[in-house]
Amino acid sequence: MNTRPESAHDREADERNALISALADGDAAALDRGCELWRSDADARATWHAYHLIGDVMRSDDLAVRPARDQDFLASLRTRLADEPVLLAPAPVAPAATPRRRQRWLLPAAAAAGFVAVAGVTVVARMSADGAGGTLVATERPAAGPIRAVATQAEPRTRSLVYEGRFIRDAQLDAYLEAHRQAYGGRAATVPGGMPAYAEAVAPASAVQVAR
Amino acid sequence: MTTDADADNLLIDRVKRGDMRAFEMLVVKYQRRIERLIGRMVRDTDLVQDIAQETFIRAYRALPQFRGESAFYTWLYRIAVNTAKKQLVDLKRDPLVSEGSLANSDDGDETSRVENELTDGETPEALLASKEIAAAVNAAIEALSEDLRQAITLREIEGLSYEEIADVMNCPIGTVRSRIFRAREAIATRLRPLLDTREGERW
Repeated sequence: MNTRPESAHDREADERNALISALADGDAAALDRGCELWRSDADARATWHAYHLIGDVMRSDDLAVRPARDQDFLASLRTRLADEPVLLAPAPVAPAATPRRRQRWLLPAAAAAGFVAVAGVTVVARMSADGAGGTLVATERPAAGPIRAVATQAEPRTRSLVYEGRFIRDAQLDAYLEAHRQAYGGRAATVPGGMPAYAEAVAPASAVQVAR
Repeated sequence: MTTDADADNLLIDRVKRGDMRAFEMLVVKYQRRIERLIGRMVRDTDLVQDIAQETFIRAYRALPQFRGESAFYTWLYRIAVNTAKKQLVDLKRDPLVSEGSLANSDDGDETSRVENELTDGETPEALLASKEIAAAVNAAIEALSEDLRQAITLREIEGLSYEEIADVMNCPIGTVRSRIFRAREAIATRLRPLLDTREGERW
């Protein structure tokens, strides 16, 4: 047992690691903060890795891989993932065990600025990696199947956003989008520099339905 | 708390809401197992890593179709096998590829441990490091108090949920959560000297 007095730093590290541990076991309450930590804190990432390595090794000695290999793997994969479109397919994966709560969206700035969500239309937003610009392309799509990527002229290091499914219009969401559309002057959603790469929109749960 | 499948679904839901980095957490969780699986089909370790990467990219792209009816790992496993098979077919057609990089894909049985250890790219130093990690984990578990050892064993080996463990150990769920965390931290403390890299922040 640890008998020396803990510094504030130790306590913070402990709290963070306890959260990572809980998230590893599926604690929904740890999800938001845990994912935030994943993004921002290298120690948290190392802890997630360590805890899962421990579980793997407990189950099987031959999963005792040197972490440098695992790190290289992730670094490589990140590069490839950076070329993939960001997914937005917000239908919950499993029936919600918790009572309905407000859905929090992460919308790219370009999408928040002025897309029109209309049933039957797939909207693809292209935004540059630093969020300084973007364009929207809206196309009709056939009833079956999502569009994965829309061909536009290649921009270096752009990230495209693909919406899976169709959106049913909702009065509150429409009002929100209308306000943004007006603020950014019309459909041509070129985002002025200085917009953060993501705008957070709180939309009521009923606003997003994936129609089949 | 919940089983692995439910834990994974939390993260998947998050990825589907646009948090691409949450997918990395799933990668870190399953990458070793997936590589081991592919390593049974393909001998060349560079190729194993390539196929594993391809597997995760395909899984990412197919995520909108994943509805959580089966466990994520089951789904991922199938993608890995299909990806490996496809690569093997492509390679067999390629006259420049040496026979040595392909395992015999008719082998249903796992190849022997010795063969696995002598795959390309695994140096004796790497094997030693792996053994040290395994030894450190086992020693650390031995050194745990009974409660901590039982908690983490029920979670990691038996795969019980927090509720089930609370039942078995006759204690509150909060205590379960705390014991599992303290067990992990005690083991990780022993591991960290082995896990530290020279270049600082790598993760």
